[in-house]
Amino acid sequence: MLHLLLAFENLNPMNWEVIKPALNFLWQGLLAIFVVIGLIILAVKLTAFCINKATEAKKRREEAQNAETPESDS
Amino acid sequence: MDFLLKGFQAIGDNPKMIAMWIIGGLLIYLAIKKDMEPALLLPMGFGAILVNLPLSPVVDEHGIIASLFQVGIAASEAMPLLLFIGIGCMIDFGPLLTNPKLFILGGAAQLGIFITIILAAMIGFPLNDAASIGIIGAADGPTAILVAQKVMSNYLGPIMVVAYSYMALVPIVQPAVVKLCTTKKERLIKMKYSAKQIPKLMRILFPIIVTICSGLIAPDSLSLVGMLMFGNLIRECGVLKSLSETAQTTFSNIITLLLGITIAFQMQADQFLQLETLIIMVLGLFAFVFDTVGGVMCAKLMNLFSKEKINPMLGAAGISAFPMAARVVEKMSIKEDPSNHLLMHAVGANVSGQIASAIVGGLIIGILFPGL
Repeated sequence: MLHLLLAFENLNPMNWEVIKPALNFLWQGLLAIFVVIGLIILAVKLTAFCINKATEAKKRREEAQNAETPESDS
Repeated sequence: MDFLLKGFQAIGDNPKMIAMWIIGGLLIYLAIKKDMEPALLLPMGFGAILVNLPLSPVVDEHGIIASLFQVGIAASEAMPLLLFIGIGCMIDFGPLLTNPKLFILGGAAQLGIFITIILAAMIGFPLNDAASIGIIGAADGPTAILVAQKVMSNYLGPIMVVAYSYMALVPIVQPAVVKLCTTKKERLIKMKYSAKQIPKLMRILFPIIVTICSGLIAPDSLSLVGMLMFGNLIRECGVLKSLSETAQTTFSNIITLLLGITIAFQMQADQFLQLETLIIMVLGLFAFVFDTVGGVMCAKLMNLFSKEKINPMLGAAGISAFPMAARVVEKMSIKEDPSNHLLMHAVGANVSGQIASAIVGGLIIGILFPGL
């Protein structure tokens, strides 16, 4: 196999100088992508939580206002 | 009468050009007859013929194709980036926002990229070319163009052709790999989909959140992720409907058309017809296969820790071939059990793959070539 690859004059097979950074890149790349994704999931969940709380608070305020309105009419 | 024979004489000097006409013809055939990415393969095929005609002025220093390449790709990667605005406008992130943990599948389905980089390095490609070959596994043409161009790969032409050809082959490649990695019982796992109404504010904030998170950890991905998310913001803001429609249709079509014919600049016979092109084709397939394996295995791993089981086939939808990968999963699930519809979950995983592949593209540029 190695002999076959050596037939490609532009290629330099099993060159540790190239393979080593490529191996480092595997863990660095996977770690970075999962950190970004984790951060996005956290931010999305937090935002969704805040939006839900705000919506609920708004509903409660509206309900309270609706409840107050008939009393003031009377 | 010599002036009439100049072209024929030039062909005699470089008969490789004829091989490129055949390749161009094949791309046109695949686009028209097999409906494989016609918007891109057709202009690429015609471009391959155009740039390989002897004495063709289009590839001269001020020729139209050379100029388009310089301005649209070499100078700032404008064309692939602008295409991302259109893609962002097309994507509905609703299914992903309904179930954000699907995001993990999009990340895992990028595994093939990293493994292919290592394999290409072992075979003997320089690091910049290995990275560009690995990114074929992103299953995302614009990302592959951007990375290959940014890291100054010598194989931009072959990488483009392989990336777009394999994207069209997703329905053939993925089912076989998924079946190899899963049991019948796993493929029959049913998942409920609760079509929650996602608040408009959430939809508007999502592209901004993704842009900030990616920018903080992977700043080099900002051009790709930023354009994708900008497109999505145009879609979700609700006040730019006509712009959004234009970006999804006319704008994307024009950019794709120009991109296809511009890429042909890299398909000149001497650059394209190398034995390395064959290795790139094999490695590209390898990247697609291992992306799918990564996604499926991650879904299985998640099932070990989760009460609500995920159908592992969803992992295959984590690659960014949008919406093809999601459709493949839906077809497979219906085939196994006609009542098991996974489409919406698969779309969620698929759009997460779109974001993840753009982030990975930036990471590759940033980690391997920090100075670029």
